Amino acid sequence: MNNKEIIEIFKGAAARPDEQAEYWKKEQESKVIGFMLTDVPEELIHAAGFLPYAVNAEEGRLEFADAHLQTWACSFTRNCLASAVQGKLSFLDGIVIPQTCDTTRMLMGIWKHTNPLPFMENYRLPRQVDRPSAREYLRGELERLKKSLENFGGSEIKEAELAASISLYNSNRGLMRQLYAMHVENPQLLSGKELFLIIKAAMVMPREKVNSLLKQLLNHLKNKGVSHVKGNKIRLLISGTLLEPLELLDYIAEAGGVIVGDDFKNGSRYLECDVSEDKEPLEALVDRQVNRIPSALFDPKKGLRKTYLVDLARQKRANGVLFLHLKFCEPENYDYYDNMQAMEKYGIPAMRIETAYGGLPQGQLQTRIYAFMEMLGGGDAD
Amino acid sequence: MKDLMADYYKQGAEAKEKGIPVAWVTAVFPVEIIYAAGLFPFYPENFGAVASARKMADKLSSFAEAKGYAHDLCAYARCGLGDAHSKEHPVGEIVKPDLLLCCNTQCGSLSKWFEVAARFYEAPYFLLDAPQIGMEADDLCKKYYTAQLKELIAFLESFTGKKFDYDRLREVMAHANEACRLWNAILETAALKPAPFGFFDACFHMAPIVTWRGMPQAVNYYRTLQEELQNRIQNNVYAIKDERYKLYFDHIPLWPKLRWFSEICASHHALVAVSQYTHSWAYSFDLEHPLESLAENYTEEFVNRVFDYRIQRKMQLMERYNVDGFILFSNRSCKPNAFGLYDKKNIISSITGLPGVVFEADMSDLRFFSEAQVLARLESFFEQLESA
Ligand code: SF4
Repeated sequence: MNNKEIIEIFKGAAARPDEQAEYWKKEQESKVIGFMLTDVPEELIHAAGFLPYAVNAEEGRLEFADAHLQTWACSFTRNCLASAVQGKLSFLDGIVIPQTCDTTRMLMGIWKHTNPLPFMENYRLPRQVDRPSAREYLRGELERLKKSLENFGGSEIKEAELAASISLYNSNRGLMRQLYAMHVENPQLLSGKELFLIIKAAMVMPREKVNSLLKQLLNHLKNKGVSHVKGNKIRLLISGTLLEPLELLDYIAEAGGVIVGDDFKNGSRYLECDVSEDKEPLEALVDRQVNRIPSALFDPKKGLRKTYLVDLARQKRANGVLFLHLKFCEPENYDYYDNMQAMEKYGIPAMRIETAYGGLPQGQLQTRIYAFMEMLGGGDAD
Repeated sequence: MKDLMADYYKQGAEAKEKGIPVAWVTAVFPVEIIYAAGLFPFYPENFGAVASARKMADKLSSFAEAKGYAHDLCAYARCGLGDAHSKEHPVGEIVKPDLLLCCNTQCGSLSKWFEVAARFYEAPYFLLDAPQIGMEADDLCKKYYTAQLKELIAFLESFTGKKFDYDRLREVMAHANEACRLWNAILETAALKPAPFGFFDACFHMAPIVTWRGMPQAVNYYRTLQEELQNRIQNNVYAIKDERYKLYFDHIPLWPKLRWFSEICASHHALVAVSQYTHSWAYSFDLEHPLESLAENYTEEFVNRVFDYRIQRKMQLMERYNVDGFILFSNRSCKPNAFGLYDKKNIISSITGLPGVVFEADMSDLRFFSEAQVLARLESFFEQLESA
């Protein structure tokens, strides 16, 4: 397979994730456990012998959720629920919903009553991560989730199995970070949209398979070498909770932009920070959660998000920051003013646009992105 | 309520003058600890409710919106942030915090708002984190919350430089017990038919149970109110004229339209008798185990519970007050209380056979209120009620 073909496989999976799941479900004769993006420890689901499946941007219209959920819930949640209501997720054997905001705290009950699945669990994350109590609690919550998965699967998750899953996911994250770096260096070979589509696809495919495809892809891309990019490339940091629709990234690319960093839950927040393989596995999972990069969803005592973003922008030599704010995502909105102030203070040009699942508003959005990119104009420092 | 609240605000100003630190707290925060630590608790949510009742929420919100806060955030937060960013302070300036203490059982809006405000006012912030509890009480959450109460006490000790006084805490908790007992006895009078007291009266009289829980003032206030209610009962003075129906209401009232709403109900001879909202303050503390008992009481309330528990809680109240129907307010500001109401309505109606309605608006912000639409919803509900 050449690199184009491999990318096509990922694109296909990202476009029809449900088909993927049904295919693998048959092939591996395993159950599929869905999860909502993305703070769920997939390693546990995998170690229990299930295929973890990210419920994200399924096809179908948001209106199907309207009889159950107000239209002023974020479009991500509406999209998930709408898919469930339409029966598009009937291949799932279960779902884990991480409680990261008011909406995710309330979703389970609605889902349970409209489309019950055999296995349904909340993952009740601690919302402060700095004090010792958070670690202790999280450990208990992970144990609870583990037990629940074991009961459903009918067998105990052995420490060695969990360690193996952790190692598999670590190598997956490592490979995807390499791919990300490849995109930054050479967006001609791998576009921003392709990069994020691969991340999206990886979340619905068996990781073993993903890793072998990624290794091949990386080899191909390395062999092609870094062809020096013609024309100015505007180095852009993008920030928000969830990145969707990915077509947005086309606009950025068309305007000469390259994504050099991000903090999305379906982007770098997902890829950064491995799970230690030297520690007892559950402790190591606790570590990962409390050490993840800052997000609007958790109270950030030590590492303020705005400081993190400024540092990241500098470290990645970004020309500007584009905040892609998923409309109706409250936590993200509360952070915006402070983030913007910080950018101003450090002289980093920044702009916010609102996004939503379920299609891309044409015209205005494109024009605004173009205008912003034009303003950043200057291009890469080197 | 006006006088009481004016009094309360005056106390805030006085606290500032005397150098007593002002701690911002949330409505369902274990305020007993704050009183025991000798701090003055200030309730920004209350500031939001007062601004809303005066129809000033839209105005305050505009200052926050100018800074990029969206108009779909909780209106209380927009009032608070709006005041922070305004020079005019159209409802009087909020009492500025020396520290901020938030418990997130109610919602995640509060914790973000407080986090942002802590940066704005450059004051320390402590989040008391409460994972959601299912149908059964949950030891893991109780332990977590108790451990955090200890962290909170250490945080306060280092802030005030004083050792925390557990005897004082027990004293405060004893007052809170008595205030809660009285408050709930008062609420119970709405079950009488006809009743001398209903939900709208409860909204009017609830400030002390929220803000002074733990202080003798609240106990005195509700003793007086209880006597007054006894008098009303003896003299056949009732909340509405010719009460025919009793209703359950969820959740926070439509502050700027409180009178309008209550008159519609009264015109149909329907008394809004009960709501989970005013019943939130029903604590009963075990003074032998103060921290564990605070943890149980504060985390096991419906605000921190799952969908099914909330349905159960509503139905219990409906049964206890023998209601004839229910009105659920899909309050745009308050996602945790609004999300799920559509299904809850159907489930409750199918189990109890009671007529119910969900209407859309915002507790504070009249830009999200269409009188014609709400009225149409309510009228068709009353038709159903009256033909039942
Ligand atoms: S109204 Fe709702 S969202 Fe706003 S502070 Fe109260 S509980 Fe939170």
